[in-house]
Amino acid sequence: MQIAHYIPLFPFLAFVINIFFGRRLKIVSAYVAITASIVSFLFSLRVFECFKAGEASYSLGTWLTIGGKPLNFGIIIDPLTIMMLLIVTFIGTFILIYSIGYMHDDPRFSRYFAYISLFMSSMLGLVLADNFVLLLIFWEGVGLCSYLLIAFWYERPAAARAGLKAFITTRIGDTGFLVGMLLLFFTCGTFHFTDLKSLTGPEPILTLAAILIFTGAMGKSAQFPLHVWLPDAMEGPTAVSALIHAATMVAAGVYLVARCFPLFVDHPMALQTVAVIGGISALMAASIATVNNDIKRVLAYSTISQLGLMMLGLGVGGLSAGTFHLMTHAFFKALLFLCAGSVIHAVGTQDIQKMGGLLSKMKITGVTFCIGTLALAGVPPFAGFWSKDEILLTAWNNHHPVLFVVALLTSFLTAFYMSRLIILVLFGKARSELHAHESPLTMTVPLIVLSFFAAFAGFIGSPLKEAAEGAQGSFVIMAISTVVSLTGLALAYLLYIRRVVLVPVASIQGLHNLLVNKYYIDEIYDAYLIKPCLAFCRGAFSFDAKIVDGVVNGTAEVVQFCSGLLRRTQTGLIQNYLLVQVFSVVLLLIWLLKI
Amino acid sequence: MIPLAYFTFLSAFLFCVGIYGALTRRNVIGILISIELILNAANINLVAFNKYLGTPDGMGQVFGLFVIAIAAAASVVGLVLIIAIYRDRKSLFTDGFTLMKE
Amino acid sequence: MSELVFYFITLCACVFAVLSVTQRDIFHCALWLAMTLLSVAGIYFYLDAAFLGVVQILVYVGGIITLFVFAIKLTSHIGDRSIRQTSKQWGLSIFITVLLLFIICRIFAQHPWAKMVVERPSTSLIQVGQSLMTNYALPFEFMSVILLAAMVGAIVIGKVKK
Repeated sequence: MQIAHYIPLFPFLAFVINIFFGRRLKIVSAYVAITASIVSFLFSLRVFECFKAGEASYSLGTWLTIGGKPLNFGIIIDPLTIMMLLIVTFIGTFILIYSIGYMHDDPRFSRYFAYISLFMSSMLGLVLADNFVLLLIFWEGVGLCSYLLIAFWYERPAAARAGLKAFITTRIGDTGFLVGMLLLFFTCGTFHFTDLKSLTGPEPILTLAAILIFTGAMGKSAQFPLHVWLPDAMEGPTAVSALIHAATMVAAGVYLVARCFPLFVDHPMALQTVAVIGGISALMAASIATVNNDIKRVLAYSTISQLGLMMLGLGVGGLSAGTFHLMTHAFFKALLFLCAGSVIHAVGTQDIQKMGGLLSKMKITGVTFCIGTLALAGVPPFAGFWSKDEILLTAWNNHHPVLFVVALLTSFLTAFYMSRLIILVLFGKARSELHAHESPLTMTVPLIVLSFFAAFAGFIGSPLKEAAEGAQGSFVIMAISTVVSLTGLALAYLLYIRRVVLVPVASIQGLHNLLVNKYYIDEIYDAYLIKPCLAFCRGAFSFDAKIVDGVVNGTAEVVQFCSGLLRRTQTGLIQNYLLVQVFSVVLLLIWLLKI
Repeated sequence: MIPLAYFTFLSAFLFCVGIYGALTRRNVIGILISIELILNAANINLVAFNKYLGTPDGMGQVFGLFVIAIAAAASVVGLVLIIAIYRDRKSLFTDGFTLMKE
Repeated sequence: MSELVFYFITLCACVFAVLSVTQRDIFHCALWLAMTLLSVAGIYFYLDAAFLGVVQILVYVGGIITLFVFAIKLTSHIGDRSIRQTSKQWGLSIFITVLLLFIICRIFAQHPWAKMVVERPSTSLIQVGQSLMTNYALPFEFMSVILLAAMVGAIVIGKVKK
């Protein structure tokens, strides 16, 4: 049964209904979106069954013929796609349910559900597309939804700016993606993913194409140096952050690299780039997260860091490791964001320095928050442990000692900043007047369900796991990983509960400033990219205003002047006209008689 | 005997004098007078050609008659128009009439 | 002898015509026009078109010129000697008119029948009358309709609106 292509249609239908009739539907618009999402989930399950029964990718027909080569409306069905389908529809459904509670008094309630439905539709289309062109369309679709949802509360200037920042930053990556994709087409003449295994072409060009495609992934997955938009994207509703900026859309970059994995494997330079960029992002974002005081931004940096880890996993050759981490991360990061949303909903602030002692007031949120933290920190037996372990194992097995250390350091920092986060939020005493209360059922039920998966999803194992990947040496790695995570927890315990001063404050002040200012990357971009760009734009504007407009206005003036001269001939005096007539007759006679 | 060309020369002269008058007179009545001259110039041609080249049924003369009738009708209407304009504008000078460009 | 008569009438017609378009006083112009028309009637007589000549004198000199005089008198002081009667474009007009005259005369002079002197038997009045009632009956009737229309039109336009 070829039903996979119906999956994106249901959310799209929900989008159409909500965008046109949302005002009248009110709360019903949420049910419309949720129903569509559930139907998509059921269809995804059915596709999964069909796949197990041996069904393969199929094509809905030829879309275009470019230079004699057909471009199909193709649907790809493989474990990676099915995993993504299930993640998007499953997590999406629970986040939609959660949103009923979270957005309940928002004036643009139905608009919100329309956007989310559109996003899900695009995301599902993205993972089903079997060629670059189709993927790019949905890729831009999710980018658009991301923009719309980040700037959802556009009355706030910060939100509007964050939406623009996200859109423009990812656009830089997308341009690279487009160029890479076209380069690949001109070199090898194909847009189809299935052809990537057997590409023939000049090595440097294909490497370049792969790296350019990776820049698209960098933009979407917020990897260094295009990571700057993700922390600002936290201006959007928290449920959006959970779905789009933690679980699914940002994972699209990782998905893209995984989808093009054969291309990267064939060109070690490109693969190396992926790993190094991933490593830098992982370490950098994790270190920034240790000092940030905004509950959502800590999670945002954590997301960048974890996405970096996935890239690192892919970069060291672990397709299954990277995608496995993508899956587990989707669960526990969505959970963490929803918990954060629940906390923000309850206390009305995002500053963790003002929170504290919330565990006693918000039991369900608190406990699920802890589960999510343990999963992210990589404490066995929670989900994060297994996937992170696999990345470490792959790095070690494939002889990348530096990247192995980077991953280990990242997981240490992860454990540290996550513990710090929950300690400051949930434990200790309240540091300001808070009237916290547990969130409504629509919000807590998704938390419970997701925390279940955050805890146990790791046992499923990677859907891409191949039998050949043995478990040799894995116990040593597991032990190291566990020890590192626990060290991080312990350090946070000492610093924030026991308040032990390990090193003099003054000695780390410089480092602290560097981290608080996020390595000054925004400032560097502002000084060296945005300002010159704006200066150039102003120059271009004045060129347009003075010279281009001048030419246009000048043309108009010349015409006006000439027509002014011509208008003189329109005297309105009949005798003038008669004179011209007679004169014309004379000329005509001269010409006819050739005198 | 007078050659045919002489009549046509006379006709051409009257025609050109009429054209000149129509082009230069400021007075509308003057223009009408010039137009009468032009019509007469045409008539001379008709009659002369009838005499030298014409058919026995006297076509040239018949059309000469028609022209005179048309000229009469034209001057009647023209003069009435002049009077109407004069009533409206208290002037008959063409320099003042620029309705064509308004 | 008959040539001399022709030259005389032609000279009169030309001089009167020039006078009728150059005189300042519009009333004088109308009178010179009458003289021109009379000269043209003389040409008609010379060409054996006596009926046409009579019609010319009756209709033109008797009718149309009278109308002109009426119009001139009704519009009174228009013809004052103090008022300039020639428009500013007279120089250019003379140039173009002379050029036109030159071209037309050249065309006629070069034509094969320019020197033609052979005369046909002149058309008799009877023939003209028969033609009017047979071959040209339809244009003739149309002409009467046009005259009627012109008359009605003149009355309608000339009527003072209340």
